[in-house]
Amino acid sequence: MLEARHIDFRYPDGEKVLEDISFKIEKAGMLGIIGPNGGGKSTLLKILVGLLPLQKGEVLFQGTPLALTKKAVYVPQTITLNDTLPLKVSDFLNLSIKSAKLSLDECLTKVGMLDKKNDLIRELSGGQKQRVMLARALRQIPEILILDEPTTGLDGEGQDQLMILLKGLQQNEKTTIIIVDHNLNQVLNHADKILCLNKKHHWHERKELLTQNIINDIYHCEFEHIRLHEAGTQFNDEHHECQHDHKHHHEKSE
Amino acid sequence: MSFLSDFIEYPFLLRALIATSVLSLTCGLISPLIIAKRYAFLGSAVSHSTLLGLSLGLFISGTNAPLSLYLWTLGITLVLSLFLAQSTWRQSLPSDSLIGLFFTATMGLGTLIHSLTSRSSGDLMSFLFGNVLLLTNTDIYISILLAVLIIPLILIPFNQWILTIYDEDFAILSGVPAKAMHFIFVFVMTALIVSALKISGTILVNALLLTPGFFALSFARDLKLTFLISVLFSITTAIMGLVLANLLETPSGATIAMTQLFFLFLAKVIKVILR
Repeated sequence: MLEARHIDFRYPDGEKVLEDISFKIEKAGMLGIIGPNGGGKSTLLKILVGLLPLQKGEVLFQGTPLALTKKAVYVPQTITLNDTLPLKVSDFLNLSIKSAKLSLDECLTKVGMLDKKNDLIRELSGGQKQRVMLARALRQIPEILILDEPTTGLDGEGQDQLMILLKGLQQNEKTTIIIVDHNLNQVLNHADKILCLNKKHHWHERKELLTQNIINDIYHCEFEHIRLHEAGTQFNDEHHECQHDHKHHHEKSE
Repeated sequence: MSFLSDFIEYPFLLRALIATSVLSLTCGLISPLIIAKRYAFLGSAVSHSTLLGLSLGLFISGTNAPLSLYLWTLGITLVLSLFLAQSTWRQSLPSDSLIGLFFTATMGLGTLIHSLTSRSSGDLMSFLFGNVLLLTNTDIYISILLAVLIIPLILIPFNQWILTIYDEDFAILSGVPAKAMHFIFVFVMTALIVSALKISGTILVNALLLTPGFFALSFARDLKLTFLISVLFSITTAIMGLVLANLLETPSGATIAMTQLFFLFLAKVIKVILR
């Protein structure tokens, strides 16, 4: 089990980005993190993998601090890649992978990029770069896979393929997945649990408790095409910590 | 052809040839890394901050003790670059304003100290634009020693350097000592800049650091070829510049810089025409 307890984070300029964030994911579960820009999603991922310091709280994987286990593989946003130097896809995938369990061809095949093996990274599209970064993560067959906006640059078909791939990892390799994405429907449909972040605490152990009104409230705007399973939702506080008034929202939505 | 035989006949020219060859080899090797890491402005700040070290070094040891002058300049510039390295490591705010202020403060302070402590400003002028007449055997030994230290430092962990450039987060999570490598890189740049002062001068040393990498990155489509082209371009154009400086009796730093930029420009024009 992966468990985060009472995480707070404040940037050096004093801005508080995360406040008392807690969640739990079972092995081979998928946690979807949604929320508006600046809500702290990427910050939380960086804390989980150890790129940012844990100022308060703890992140445990099977009882051990996650950063110490080195079990998590992080796939950042492609925007962080600096591809000034001419590097081939195959060379990029071979950089500092100490424990590759999949061959280069196998992982490129999984993301549909085998034909781009000898292309330069800097000449790939955003979506193709995203697939290459995913291929690099897949080489290690990670126990925990943490993805920051992996569908950016992918077309609809590419997004569906990515989700099928992630589901396959969950089922076959028992990989625990944490995914941040702006494609709400993809996250809501595939994740087992949802964490809504807007600098505050919105934890939904059961995703069926999430209503469209809550999402509208988190993003401060109204969504028209969100697919939620709201019918028959029973509102109670079991496994649920959230600052929203569900009853009120439920009545409003009716 | 006497301008070529001069390099054998006159010891100061032979010293300039050896020092230029060795320094241009090392500069050519790190040049693509400087550009890829986007440290061009940082290099400028380091080169201009050498004025502060030079002013104090000239005050303490004078030009007659080249090793002492070098060590004072290097020591003071390394301390200054430590501040730069710290303030440019994984900052969320753009660090260019800070680098610009650092640049102005160190250069201004260096000029003030020199004008208050030296009877003549001639010495400093030689270091601003380069003067091969100042080169001694000690400078050659220093440039060779630096090459012997820097080349393995870049080539042995070559993949790690590339990984820190491509994806610093992944490098850190993979256990690459990215912060230490950032500091080492700034120190390597500083040592090279201080060593190249007598050849290129504070103001023009950036040509040696940036042009070869820029040239190679404009044409190469392979990582190793990029570094090979950068090194070859750096050595050939720096030597051509030095030979031209002797032929035209012009300052070495300016002539080397203009030779390198001319070939870069020429290659770019040819590329556009061929396209």
